[in-house]
Amino acid sequence: MTTIIPFGPQHPVLPEPVSLKLELDNDVVVGVLPSLGYVHRGLEKFIDTKDYNQTTYICERICGICSALHGITYTKSVEKLFNAEVPERAEYIRVIVGELNRVHSHLLWLGLFADGFGFESLFYECWKYRESVLDVLERITGNRVIHSISKVGGVSRDLTKEHIDMILKMLDTLEPQIKDIEKVFVNNYTVKKRTVGLATMSKQLAYEAGTAGPTLRGSGNAIDVRETEDWDIYRDLGFKTVVEKDGDCYSRTKVRVKELYESIKLIRNAISKLPNGEITTPIKGFPTGEAIMRTEQPRGEVVYYVKGNGTKNLERLKIRTPTFANIPSLLLTLPGVKLADVPIVVLTIDPCISCTER
Amino acid sequence: MLENEVEIKSSSELVKTVEGLKNDGYRYSTMICLKANDGHDLIYIFEKDNKLKNLRYFVKPGEKPKSMSGIYLCALLIENEYQDLFGLTFEGLAIDYKGHLYLTPNSPKSPLA
Repeated sequence: MTTIIPFGPQHPVLPEPVSLKLELDNDVVVGVLPSLGYVHRGLEKFIDTKDYNQTTYICERICGICSALHGITYTKSVEKLFNAEVPERAEYIRVIVGELNRVHSHLLWLGLFADGFGFESLFYECWKYRESVLDVLERITGNRVIHSISKVGGVSRDLTKEHIDMILKMLDTLEPQIKDIEKVFVNNYTVKKRTVGLATMSKQLAYEAGTAGPTLRGSGNAIDVRETEDWDIYRDLGFKTVVEKDGDCYSRTKVRVKELYESIKLIRNAISKLPNGEITTPIKGFPTGEAIMRTEQPRGEVVYYVKGNGTKNLERLKIRTPTFANIPSLLLTLPGVKLADVPIVVLTIDPCISCTER
Repeated sequence: MLENEVEIKSSSELVKTVEGLKNDGYRYSTMICLKANDGHDLIYIFEKDNKLKNLRYFVKPGEKPKSMSGIYLCALLIENEYQDLFGLTFEGLAIDYKGHLYLTPNSPKSPLA
């Protein structure tokens, strides 16, 4: 005989509301039914009342963690409609802010993950280090959470020498700090005991389940939008996709830790190659046609579809966020897992409900 | 018209094409729904080797499109989303929230339709 118990929508490991109805046989999960919609905001409908420039501000507010990358993806999709050539300096600044965004997001997640299995001191360390990234983002963009760096045609703020020195100094301090927490996440007995071999997804299963980001790459799939022609500037910056093969919670964690170093490398390379010149190009007229734009957010591939009809308003905006792609994988990974491990498994897809509930 | 787009004429052709893409190693990325000529356009987006492939299928008014969740399980959430927001009915959904993935009984019906 099985028992149904609710996991969420309010739960200590979930900063945002999502619910899983868990079917249990004793303490082992045998079935899962996800339930969404507790905070759905209808932003794809809301943009009916906004012009295509104002929609940038809406997209940045989809999520407070990957705000910059939402803004960047949206503006790049509209630039596709205009066939606009964006100044190279603006593209580099987008990369720098986008990767800083990824660093703070991964540190946030590592802290939440440590908190999820009761490792409070590790949680404090991760979030303490994350503060330095937020401080830099605040100084260079003027905003701590909603960075508002990208606009259609370029970026809204330039980087000064003072900003660049500040970023490089912060990275020099942060890198050894990440090495310290990496030792714990990778080698600590308790962390390994809670994560190794848990909720394993094979390479094929993760691929066919349509997963994205570290959830996909943690199962041995070397798929990252930063390697595609959609955002080809990354090719000049020496980007290498981080992959782990085992497909368990431990692998997904290691992907995120290693991606911190990759982001730091990308930021340093972007700064060293930062060209002089304009940061914006004038865009005239109204958008027409259809375009799809993808970028790699901290949680994985985000897909923006835009359709313009020659007026100031877009006819359609559709956003497929990475968590939306990763939630169905829980139907495959949770059965067979003990109830006590459910929070760990749910956390390893790094669920962002703000993104999911656009 | 999107890059690398194929227009699909019938429901059976759509199922056959999607099955073929899965066999060819394509990953299901997402599906777009938009209003078109009294009906709806569904654009299925697949990815392989970092390239996208798009299938466009026109859903006639009153037509119930076939669910792809039997081929790609992950299609179930986006199909349920469009049942809520556009009032479509997908036949054969792996998990059918019956128009209540996001919407409560008191919510406006099909707000994007």
